[in-house]
Amino acid sequence: MNHLRHWLAALLIVVPACGGPSVDASAIPELPSVSAGDVATVLEGSEQPVVVNVWASWCVPCRSEAPLLERASEQFDGEVRFVGLNVRDSQDGARSFIAEFFPDAPIEHWFDSAGDIPVELGGSRAVPLTFFYGPGGEMIDLHTGVLDERTLALGIDELLAGG
Amino acid sequence: MEFTLLGSAAIGVASLYAMLRWEATRGNVLECSRDLWDVALTGIVAGVFVGRLAAMIGDGVNPLSNPADILIVRAGVSTGFAALAALATVAWIGRGEAWVVVDGLAAGALAGLAGWHAGCLTREACLGTVTDLPWAMTQNGSTIGRHPVELYAAGLYVLAAIGLALYRKRSLPAIGVSAGVGLAAAGAIRLLTEPLRPSLSSGPLLWYALAMVVGGAVVVWRLRVARAAT
Repeated sequence: MNHLRHWLAALLIVVPACGGPSVDASAIPELPSVSAGDVATVLEGSEQPVVVNVWASWCVPCRSEAPLLERASEQFDGEVRFVGLNVRDSQDGARSFIAEFFPDAPIEHWFDSAGDIPVELGGSRAVPLTFFYGPGGEMIDLHTGVLDERTLALGIDELLAGG
Repeated sequence: MEFTLLGSAAIGVASLYAMLRWEATRGNVLECSRDLWDVALTGIVAGVFVGRLAAMIGDGVNPLSNPADILIVRAGVSTGFAALAALATVAWIGRGEAWVVVDGLAAGALAGLAGWHAGCLTREACLGTVTDLPWAMTQNGSTIGRHPVELYAAGLYVLAAIGLALYRKRSLPAIGVSAGVGLAAAGAIRLLTEPLRPSLSSGPLLWYALAMVVGGAVVVWRLRVARAAT
């Protein structure tokens, strides 16, 4: 039993000490800074449904839902537009995050250093946050907190069904 | 921070507890020397932990470099690996009387799954694919009717759990048969309802089919062993 405790203690020390992975973000361009007006204009002009995911590199749940968003953006490429809105972050942090989680995903990423845009769009300052917009910019749904596969799939299904 | 998943988990665990108590009062688990409630809880924790790790690795997220992500259970748990880990844990804790332990937990596990699926009501996550049926439910702010697929699953699990508990009491099945029936029923119900769930993939259908096959094989095997012994 003592052996087990020692191993567990060692594991608890070693695992966090492994630290974050080193990723090469040099291939990722700077994210364009946008205003709430810019975002609203894009949403209103979009003929496709749009999923806007609000994220930050310091947000642990954002890392957890990133693989889902990557998978969904690839699966619905051409049918649904995916936008990542990076908030209250640094360009370096955001680019490293994209290099690690969305290197090739068809997701446009925008930069909102003040983090006010989600509030102006009708959301909150919580991160992560996901807006589901129909064509023309009508907000169909807003999900606060980390996404699970069912929620994301249902949200996209509603967009494609015209709900 | 959301705690709705916790609500579903609490309903699932409460259902498991209620079924274990009911079975105990009916004398269904008298031959088991272990506290099935403790065993079940340990199995659940081990299953969720391993299932989460498997989901992270499957999604390309390194659990060693992102250890805190393990706690974000909502982002995904691999059902198949979770079930395997839970079963392995239960069998290991119950070593020496593993069949008695898994038999004793079978109906409780089905009831727990029923509670977990019914817990969708606490997090507005019951909806499945589009339908025109009169009992269709709609998402908030939407006009599109959808199958309440999680409630279908919950209903089927309740029926399976009660059916298995009654069968155990009335027919006194051979040792190991209840576990096989429970596993096969769990797989069959998921396999049956999966096509009605919106998903980014086809879902772990193979795991569910495997559970059915393995459960069925266990039933046949344990019946043969019992027959040979008599």
